[in-house]
Amino acid sequence: MNLIKIKRQSWNIGIVIIALGLGTWQINRLPVFGSYEARTILLGILPIALLSMGQAIIIIGGGINLAIGAESVLINCLAARFMAGKSFGIGVALTIALLLLSTCLGAITGLIISRSKIADIIVTLATSFILIGFAMYIQPSPGGGMNLSLAHLVSGKGTAFLPPLITLILPLLIIWIPLYRSRAGIAMYAIGSNKDSAFLSGVNVDLTRIKLYAVGGLFAGLSGIVLTAITLSGSPFASISNTATLNSVAGAVLGGVALSGGVGGLTGPALAALILYFIPTILLNYGIDPAYSQIITGALTIIVVLIGGLIRNRGKKK
Amino acid sequence: MRIRGNPESFRGSPWFDSKQNKCEINKRSNLSQQALLKISNLAKSYGSVVALRDANFSVQPGEIHALLGANGAGKSTLVKILTGVIGGDLGLIELNGKQVAFSSPDNARKSGVAPVFQDPALIPDISIQRNLYLTGTDKDRFLSEISSMGLSVDLNQLASEIELPILRMIDLARALSHDPELLILDEITAALPIDMAEKVISIMGDHKARGKSVIFISHRLAEIEEICDRATVLRDGINVDTFDATHGSEERIVAAMLGDKNVVAAHNRNRANKTTTAEFMRVESLVGGKHLKDVSFTIKKGEVLGVAALEGQGQDLLFEILAGESQPSGGKLFVNGQEVTFHHPSDAIAAGISYVPGDRKTALMPQRSIRENLALTRYRGMRRWGKINFTEEAAKVDGAVESLEIDTRAKSQVKRLSGGNQQKVTIGRWVTTGFDLLLCFDPTRGIDVGTKAQIYDLIRKFSDEGKSVLLFTSELREIQLSCDRAIVLYEGKVQADLPFEKCDEASLLSAAHGIVG
Repeated sequence: MNLIKIKRQSWNIGIVIIALGLGTWQINRLPVFGSYEARTILLGILPIALLSMGQAIIIIGGGINLAIGAESVLINCLAARFMAGKSFGIGVALTIALLLLSTCLGAITGLIISRSKIADIIVTLATSFILIGFAMYIQPSPGGGMNLSLAHLVSGKGTAFLPPLITLILPLLIIWIPLYRSRAGIAMYAIGSNKDSAFLSGVNVDLTRIKLYAVGGLFAGLSGIVLTAITLSGSPFASISNTATLNSVAGAVLGGVALSGGVGGLTGPALAALILYFIPTILLNYGIDPAYSQIITGALTIIVVLIGGLIRNRGKKK
Repeated sequence: MRIRGNPESFRGSPWFDSKQNKCEINKRSNLSQQALLKISNLAKSYGSVVALRDANFSVQPGEIHALLGANGAGKSTLVKILTGVIGGDLGLIELNGKQVAFSSPDNARKSGVAPVFQDPALIPDISIQRNLYLTGTDKDRFLSEISSMGLSVDLNQLASEIELPILRMIDLARALSHDPELLILDEITAALPIDMAEKVISIMGDHKARGKSVIFISHRLAEIEEICDRATVLRDGINVDTFDATHGSEERIVAAMLGDKNVVAAHNRNRANKTTTAEFMRVESLVGGKHLKDVSFTIKKGEVLGVAALEGQGQDLLFEILAGESQPSGGKLFVNGQEVTFHHPSDAIAAGISYVPGDRKTALMPQRSIRENLALTRYRGMRRWGKINFTEEAAKVDGAVESLEIDTRAKSQVKRLSGGNQQKVTIGRWVTTGFDLLLCFDPTRGIDVGTKAQIYDLIRKFSDEGKSVLLFTSELREIQLSCDRAIVLYEGKVQADLPFEKCDEASLLSAAHGIVG
C-alpha cells in the first residue's frame, strides 16, 4: 500500500529533486544567500505559481482556460487603479471584492462553456480578448498603486520572506486541501477523468464545471493581487497575459497534471513554477541569451512530460 | 405463491437455495402483490429515430425479470430512462404505485433503483475509495459485499489499474451496498469469466431472497432460463411477449426477438469436405507478457480455429501479437512456412492477417460514416497522393453492406449504429479489403442471437472460401457451433487441442480449468 502511495507521488518527488538541484545551483552562484534572496525567489515565482495552480484545477477537471492570464491581468489593473492612495482597510475590502469578482468571472466562463457546449479552448480564447480589453479600459497605461502595509502583508518587505511563503502555501492549505477531500473535489477529478462515468455516479457535470472555473478564477484573482503587491502597479498588456497563460499551462503540465484530465494535484504545479523561474535566472547568470533559456525551458517541459508519461503508462494495466 | 412474513426467513430454507436455482417453486413469482415497478406506454425518440415506441411491463417485488431483445430493440433506451440517464418522451413509470420521473442517476439511486452497466461507471483516474465517496457508498458495507463475493480489493488502487471483470464486480458490490429495491444489470455477464458470471447469478438469487427485485439483461439464454422468473421481449421499441422463463423457453425467446424474420437454423455445418491440410500459420513456443509461457499451434487454410480460456490467460495478448500490435518476448511465427516478425499491425496485414478487436470502439471511427469506416483499410495499397476511386469504393462498400446485412438507417455516423451493426462494420471492412486469416476476439460480445448467427454464418462463409479464422469467444457453447477445431489455453500453454466433435462445453470448461490434457 505504501509502495502504491510512493509510486503515485513519484512525479512530485521528481519535480522536488529537479527544483532542489536547480535551486542549489542558483544559490551556489549567489555571493550570499539569506532571507532577502529567499524572498526574491519567492516573489519571482508567486504570481505564476498561483496561476499554474488555477490552471491545474481546470485541467484536472477536463478543461483548459486560455483566459486565466487575462483574468489575472484584469484583477491586477483593477487593484492598482482603485487601491492607489487608499487606506489599509479599504485595500483589504477591495481585495476581497476583487477575489469575489474573479471567482464570478471564472464561474461565468464555466457557465458559458456548460450551456453553449462550445469547446473550452474557444470560449476562453474569446473571453481572454474581452478581459484584456476591460483591463486596458480601466488602466490605459501602466500605473496605479497599493497601500504599502497591505503590499507588505502579501509580499513581505526587505528580508521578510515569510509573508510571500505564506501567500504561496495558504491557498493550498485553505482552498485546495479541503476541496480535494470534499465530494465537490472528487467530482472535479471525476468529470475530468470520464464525464459519462461521472454522470452515472451522480455527479452534476455542468455544475461541477462551473465550480471548477470559479476556483480557477479565484486563483487567477490571487495571482493578480499578488502581482499588484509586488509591482505596486497595474500593467494592461496583452503580452503579459498571454505569456502568463502559456506559463500556467507549462507549470501545470510540468507539475504532473495530465492534459487529458483527471490526473494530478496542485503541489506539483506550485513546485514546477520554481523550475520555470530557476532556468532563465541561472542561464542569465551565465550570460546566456534569454532566447536560449526559452528553448531550454521548452525542451525540459517536453522531456519531463515524456518521462512522466512513460512511467505512468508502465504502471497502467490494459 | 405469495411470500408471507419476513423474506429473510426464507434464506437458507431448502426450497430457496439460490446457489442451485434448481427448485421450481423458487421460480414462481408473486403476481398478486402490487408491482414494484410498472411501466406503461413508454416512448422515446432521438430526432427522427424512434428508439422506444410503446413499452409496457412490470416487475414484482422479489422477482428476477429478464429484459430481452435484439440489438436496437430499445433495451438500452429503456434502461437509460429507468436509471435517470435520459428522460422519456411519453409514458408512465410507477415505483411502488407512485409515479416517478428520475432526473438523474443519483436521483434514481436514491429512489432505490441501482444500475450496473457493461462498462463499469467507475472513474478511472481516482481510487476506489474516492469512487465510493463520490456515490456516497458506505465503505464497510462495500467491503463486506466484496468479501462475500470472494474478492479482495485494495481501496487505494485507481480504478484504471484494475482489470475489467473485477471492476464490474466492484461496480456491482457498490450498487448492492445501497441495498436497492430494484437492481438493473445490463449485460454484466458479457465477457465475464465463467466463475464470476456464476457468482453474479448467485448474487441475483440472494438479492431476490431478500425480497428485492432484479432486471437482468443478457444475451446468454442459458443464464436467463436458469435464474429468471419472467422474461419480457422487446422488438422495435414495443414489448412483444412476456412469459415465465423456464427451461426450453429459448425458442420462444428467439422467435419473439426476431419476429417475422426467419429464425436462423442451428449451425449444422458440413465440415466433412474439410480435407485441406495445408498449413497457413504456425506459432511456435510463443512467450509474452505475464501469461503466455509456451504457446504452439497451427492454423490450416480454410480452418476456423477456436480459442477457449478463462479470463486472464493471455488470450488478448496472443491476438495482439498475431496482429502485430504487441511484440512477443520469445517464440516464432510462420506464415505459409516462412518465418515472420511483425513490428507493426501493417506487417501483419501485409501478411494477410487482419484483426477484429474485442472492443469495437478501438476499431471504429465513431463520428464517420459506414462508408468511410468500411473503406478505411482499402487505403493501404493506394498511392499516397492518388485520387480515391469513389465509384469502385462505393461498389465494394455496398457489396459488403449487403452481404453483412448491415442496418444502414443511421449510416452517417457509425456511433449511432447498434452494437451488433457496429461489430459487422468492423468485420466488413476486412471483407472489402480481403485477408487470409481473420483474428476475431470475442466478436459476439453483447450481441443479440440473430446477429450472432449472422456473424457465425459469415465466419463459416470465410472458411468455405478457403480463408482461415482464429476465434476467441467467452461463450464456450459457440465454439462447437462455429469452429473446426479448438485450442484451450491454461497457465500460459495450450492445454488441449480438440476437434469440433469433442468441443462440448464440459470438455472445454474442464480443459480451461486445467483438469484434462
